[in-house]
Amino acid sequence: MGKDECKTMLDALNKVTACYRHLVIALGSTSDSQNLREELKRTRKKAQELAVANRTKLTSLLKDKSISKDDRAEYERLWVLFSSSMELLEVDMKRSLEIGQDFPLKVPTRHLIQTGMTGSTTTVAARAMSVQNMKYEADSNIDTADLRDLQCEISQVSQMMEEMEMKVQVAPWAVEAKQEAGAELKSNMSVGNSSVGVISICEEEPKEEDGGGNRDAGFASICAVLVFFVIVTVAVVLGYLVINMS
Amino acid sequence: SSGEDIIAWLADRFQVDTQEARNFVSMLVALGYIYPLQDHRRLVIKPDASLYRFQTPYFWPTQQWPVEDTDYAIYLAKRNIRKRGILELHEQEHYNRLHKWMNHKWDFVVMQAKEQYRAAKERKKPDRVVFECQERAYWVVHRPPPGTVSAMDYGLDRLTDPNADEVTGLLCCSFKHYTPLTRSLCFLCSRRLVKYCSTYKSHDPFLSNCLPSNPWLTDDATYWSLNMPSVEIPTKMRVERWTFSFAELLSDPRGRDDFRLFLKKEFSGENLAFWEGCEDLKWGEAATMREKAEHIYKTFLARGAPRWINIDGKTMEVTVKGLKHPHRYVLDPAQTHIYMLMKKDSYGRYQKSPVFKDTVKKAICPEEHRYRHRRPSLSPIILRQMEQEQRAKMAANVDITQLCRFTTPVPHLAVYSGLTDFPTANASPPLPFLVHTPACPSPISVALESTSASERRVEAGGGEGDGDPAAARAPVGGHVSGSRVALSLRRLLRRGCTSASVFASLSPKCHSAAGTSVRIQPIIPDQPKNTVNTKFVFLEIKCDINQAVNDT
Repeated sequence: MGKDECKTMLDALNKVTACYRHLVIALGSTSDSQNLREELKRTRKKAQELAVANRTKLTSLLKDKSISKDDRAEYERLWVLFSSSMELLEVDMKRSLEIGQDFPLKVPTRHLIQTGMTGSTTTVAARAMSVQNMKYEADSNIDTADLRDLQCEISQVSQMMEEMEMKVQVAPWAVEAKQEAGAELKSNMSVGNSSVGVISICEEEPKEEDGGGNRDAGFASICAVLVFFVIVTVAVVLGYLVINMS
Repeated sequence: SSGEDIIAWLADRFQVDTQEARNFVSMLVALGYIYPLQDHRRLVIKPDASLYRFQTPYFWPTQQWPVEDTDYAIYLAKRNIRKRGILELHEQEHYNRLHKWMNHKWDFVVMQAKEQYRAAKERKKPDRVVFECQERAYWVVHRPPPGTVSAMDYGLDRLTDPNADEVTGLLCCSFKHYTPLTRSLCFLCSRRLVKYCSTYKSHDPFLSNCLPSNPWLTDDATYWSLNMPSVEIPTKMRVERWTFSFAELLSDPRGRDDFRLFLKKEFSGENLAFWEGCEDLKWGEAATMREKAEHIYKTFLARGAPRWINIDGKTMEVTVKGLKHPHRYVLDPAQTHIYMLMKKDSYGRYQKSPVFKDTVKKAICPEEHRYRHRRPSLSPIILRQMEQEQRAKMAANVDITQLCRFTTPVPHLAVYSGLTDFPTANASPPLPFLVHTPACPSPISVALESTSASERRVEAGGGEGDGDPAAARAPVGGHVSGSRVALSLRRLLRRGCTSASVFASLSPKCHSAAGTSVRIQPIIPDQPKNTVNTKFVFLEIKCDINQAVNDT
C-alpha cells in the first residue's frame, strides 16, 4: 500500500541522513581521507535520490483529495518527517561544503585535526549505501571536483525544499507525534538490520515490549534470590556439620 | 595531550609568555576548540596532567552555524538510549521541555536518534568513544549545565545594529529578505514615522524646551496653569497642535471648545454634540447606557428631532436597527460618519474662520523662564484644602437643577461646573462658554445643547448667591422658541426641582462630602443682557458622569 511504501522510503532516507551526518562530523579530522570524501559523495547522491522519490510519492498522496481524514493526518505526519530529514540533510551538505573547502586534501601537508579518531568510516558508509563493502574508485582530486558538484546539489536541494513548501500546504505544528517521551528506549531490545521491522514494532506495540521487559526483569530477580537462599542453606548445613565434627 | 603541554606548546609557538598562553588556551577550551576528557562539564584548562583533546571542525563555533534545538533533542534522545533513561537533571528538564514544544517533530527526533546511534555503533569502540566525547563536549559548550558560565553568552541578538546609519539605512539592510509588499509597507510606515517625529518634535517636552519652563525642572508650574484644559487663552504651541490633525483638535478640551463655538456660528453644532454624546456612550457607565442611547436617538436621530444630524440613509438604517438592542458601540457607524463629515468639511473651514484666527492672534507665547527663583510649589495638601474651600463656597450657591433627561431623573447626574468659572464668567468673556473641570479633566462630558425657553429658572436654595455671576444673567426674557420641546422643557423646569433640597436628595449617591456646585450657565452669544437677537438660547449642562472627578 502507498503508506507502507512511503514509510519504507522514509526510513531509508532517515538512515542515510543519519549516516551522512556521522560522516560529515568526521570531516577535517584524522579520520578524514580520500575515502571519506568519496563516501560522502556517494551517500549524498543516494540521499538525494531517496529524497526525490519520497517527495514525488508524498506529494501525490497528499494531493489526492479523496483520502480519509486519518489517512491525511498520517500523510501529514510523514510529510513532517520528510521535511525534517531534508532540512537536516541540507544543513549537513552546506556544512560539509564549508569544511571541505577549509580542509583540502590535495596539499603537500594536510592540516587535519588530531581528534583521536583512528579508524575509518567505511562501515558507516556501507550502512548508508546498504552494501556489505564499499569499493573506492574515485580519482585523486575528488576533494575539489566534488565541491563543485556539492554546490550544485545544495542549490538543487534548496530549490526542492522551497517548492515543497509552496506546493504542499501542511502545517507542521499541527501534526501530533506518535511517539511519547522516552520512546527511543523502548525498541532498544530489537535493534536489527532491518529498520522497517524495528519501526513497526515501536510504532504499534511499544507497550507490549515494555511488559516483556518487565517480565524478564522479574524472572531474573527471582532466580537470583533463589540461588542466594540455596547458597545460604548450604553454608548453614556445612557449618553445622563442622561444629558437630569438632 | 595534557594541559601543561598545550600551554607550553602555545607559548612556544606564538612567542608569548605562559600567562598569556594560559589565558588563550582557557578561552579555546571555553569555546570548545579543545575539550577536557576528565571532568567534562567544566570547560577550564587545568595546569596539570589532565588530558585534553581537539574538537572536530564540525563542532567548532567558528562558522557560527546556528545551534538547533532539533539537534539537541536528537542528542538527548541518543544519550537517553545510551544511558538507558538516566539523564542528568538539567538534561532531563531540557528533554521534557523540547518534547513539549517540539512535539510535532518528535517522531523525527526519535527516528533520527535511533539511526544515528546505530550508525555510530558501526565504528570501532575507541572511535565510538571519541565520537561520543566530541558530541558531549559540543553540547556542554552550547547548552551549558546550570551554574556554569558559558563562553557563548553574548546577550540578545539585535535585528539592527544601533551603530549603523539612521532610519532608512537600518531598514534597507533587511529589505532584501522582504517581499515587495512588505517592503512598500515598511517604507510607508517609516515615512509616516519620520513625518510624525518631525511634526511633533518641537512639541515634545523631552526633545525641546517647553515654554516657559519644564515644571519638573524649575518648580514653576506656569506651564501647567497656562495649559489647563479650561484655560481661556491657550498658548501658541497648543493652538498649533490643533492644526496638525482633527483628532488633536478634538482631544484637547480647549480646542474642542473653540471648535464648538465655531460650529455654533455655523449652526452645525449638533454634529459635535452628537459626537460627544457618542463618546460618552462608549466610555460611560454600563448602567446608563440604554438611557443615553435613547436620549441621543431622540435628540439627534429621530425624525423631527430637535438637533437632527445629517447622516446617510444606510447608516441611519443600521443605527436604528442597532438601537433596538443598544450596546456601547451601537452608534459607532453614525459617529464615524459625523466625525469624517466634521473632519472633511467643518475642520477646514474652522481653520480659515475668524474664530480660529482670533484665537491664534490672542494665543500667548510665554517667555522663557529665567531659572532665577525656584520657589517650592504649593504643597498638595494645601492645594486640596483650597479646593475644598472653593467647593464648599460654591455648594452654598446652588442655583438651579436641571434635568438632562426627558424621563425620570438619573440619580447620579451631577451638574457641575468647574472652579475656574468664577473669574472667567465674571469678566464677561467674549467667548462665553462653559469651562470644564480643572482638577482632572473628565473624559466624559456631555454637552447638551437644547433649545429651550429663554427664561431660565434661577432658584437658589439657600438664598441668592449674588457672588454668583450667573445670576447677573438673570432671566433673559428673550425670544421663546416655539418648539414643543422648548415648552416641555420649560414645564419640566417648573415641575422639576425647585429647591436645592430636591437636588440634594438626588445627589447623595454621587456626590462626595464636598458637594458640588450646581449651576447652569446660559450661553448667550451676545452679552448677558436682556436682548437676545439670536434664535436660540443655549443652555449648557455639563454632566460629570465620572464620579472620581467630584471626589477631592
